[in-house]
Amino acid sequence: MTATLDTPAQAKAKPPLFGKEEKKALIDPMWVNNPIAFQILGICSALAVTTRLDKSLVMGAGVVIVTALSNVMISLIRNFIPSKIRIIVQLVVVSGVVIAFDQVLQAYMYDLSKQLSVFVGLIITNCIVMGRLEAYAMTNPPWRSFLDGIGNGLGYAWILAIVGAIREVCGSGTLLGYQVVPQSLYAAGYVNNGLMVLAPGAFVLLGIIVWVQRAISGYSEK
Amino acid sequence: MDTSKNSYVLAFAVGITAGVSMLLAVAANALRPTQEAAQQYDRQKNIMLAAGLLQEADPRPRKEIEEVYKTRFKEHVVDLTTGEFADAKYKPSDLGGIKDAAERARYRDVYESTDELGKTAAWVMPISGKGLWSILYGFLALDASGATVQGITFYKHGETPGLGGEVDNPKWKAMWPGKSIYDDKGEVYGVRVKKGKVDPNIAVEKRHYVDGMSGSTITGNGVTDFVKRDLKAFKLFLDRLKAKG
Repeated sequence: MTATLDTPAQAKAKPPLFGKEEKKALIDPMWVNNPIAFQILGICSALAVTTRLDKSLVMGAGVVIVTALSNVMISLIRNFIPSKIRIIVQLVVVSGVVIAFDQVLQAYMYDLSKQLSVFVGLIITNCIVMGRLEAYAMTNPPWRSFLDGIGNGLGYAWILAIVGAIREVCGSGTLLGYQVVPQSLYAAGYVNNGLMVLAPGAFVLLGIIVWVQRAISGYSEK
Repeated sequence: MDTSKNSYVLAFAVGITAGVSMLLAVAANALRPTQEAAQQYDRQKNIMLAAGLLQEADPRPRKEIEEVYKTRFKEHVVDLTTGEFADAKYKPSDLGGIKDAAERARYRDVYESTDELGKTAAWVMPISGKGLWSILYGFLALDASGATVQGITFYKHGETPGLGGEVDNPKWKAMWPGKSIYDDKGEVYGVRVKKGKVDPNIAVEKRHYVDGMSGSTITGNGVTDFVKRDLKAFKLFLDRLKAKG
């Protein structure tokens, strides 16, 4: 990234590692174009796995890894994929990455994998993953696709983390398994909010987050 | 290259499927030993939880916990038709592999927890049965004479979190220790999950019942039923413990 970039011809042959496009691919989906808040994608899993923060974090990490890796792979072979069967090919690649991730979880984080159970497998059907492959990786080079995957994964993950944290504190009085609501509060008559451990609680929270995010980012229905 | 030709499409589909499955097969094979070890460790942890030798979210490293299990637990297989050990014939890990259904139903695994001196401190037996949505799998620990509950734990279930899923709640599980499994006539009574709260003024409730979990009557009834059923299955073995005192 030094003198080689001076001549236009060489700059074209070797684009900068973090040019404007790259930054856009990484940063946009975190806020302006957030997959959950803006595009309302991946809601089902956001509702299902966010009863506790650790589950949300692992799920978020899973989606980051899966979107990034499958974006890269599809981008690498994008010129060879017959367009007739491109969706199926994307599915094959996504399934492969997800199953591999599930196997790793089962081997190294058995407790969490038990709790996430079927939802890890369901990353395959997460609209964010397929959406990025079809909309981005099919037409962009690998590095940029990788950043786009990371960006969208993180955009999904941070919202999951917030929902997970609030649900765990309000619903179980703990955070990452540690008691945060003091015992004295329970003694004074405080009770955990049962709604927060159920899906409707997540719905309400998610609605509020989308509302706040859209109010700040200035989104308006066209 | 013409990527729309049928022969190319076919070749591409076959190629990518074969490639991905090959990679997955390699990954699954490489990870299998670690996965099996993780499952076994999870089982051991739950046996220890039931016996009270481990706390929920125990901070000790895995190696240390495994060491405690190795020194403090003896694994047995009980022949349910005689109540005797059949340790010479099977190990607990063999039971799942028995093909003949009648033969498989005849044996069950039991874990003997010992104190520092090697004396029996508790018997941990597997329990399982239907709740509302799912089959619950867990362990029930009885004291050395097999008459009183020492602890209970579930390591796998699919009940509703916050309702039936409260079987995992340490506060609920803490109500089990001390409950008697025999009625005054010495028959197996089991431990029952009440609908509502236990009234400590009623002797039979104090002796045999634990509080219900609100909003999960069916899970509670399921637990009541299969705890009794599994205790009855172990009857001859329990008789032997009772005779020994």
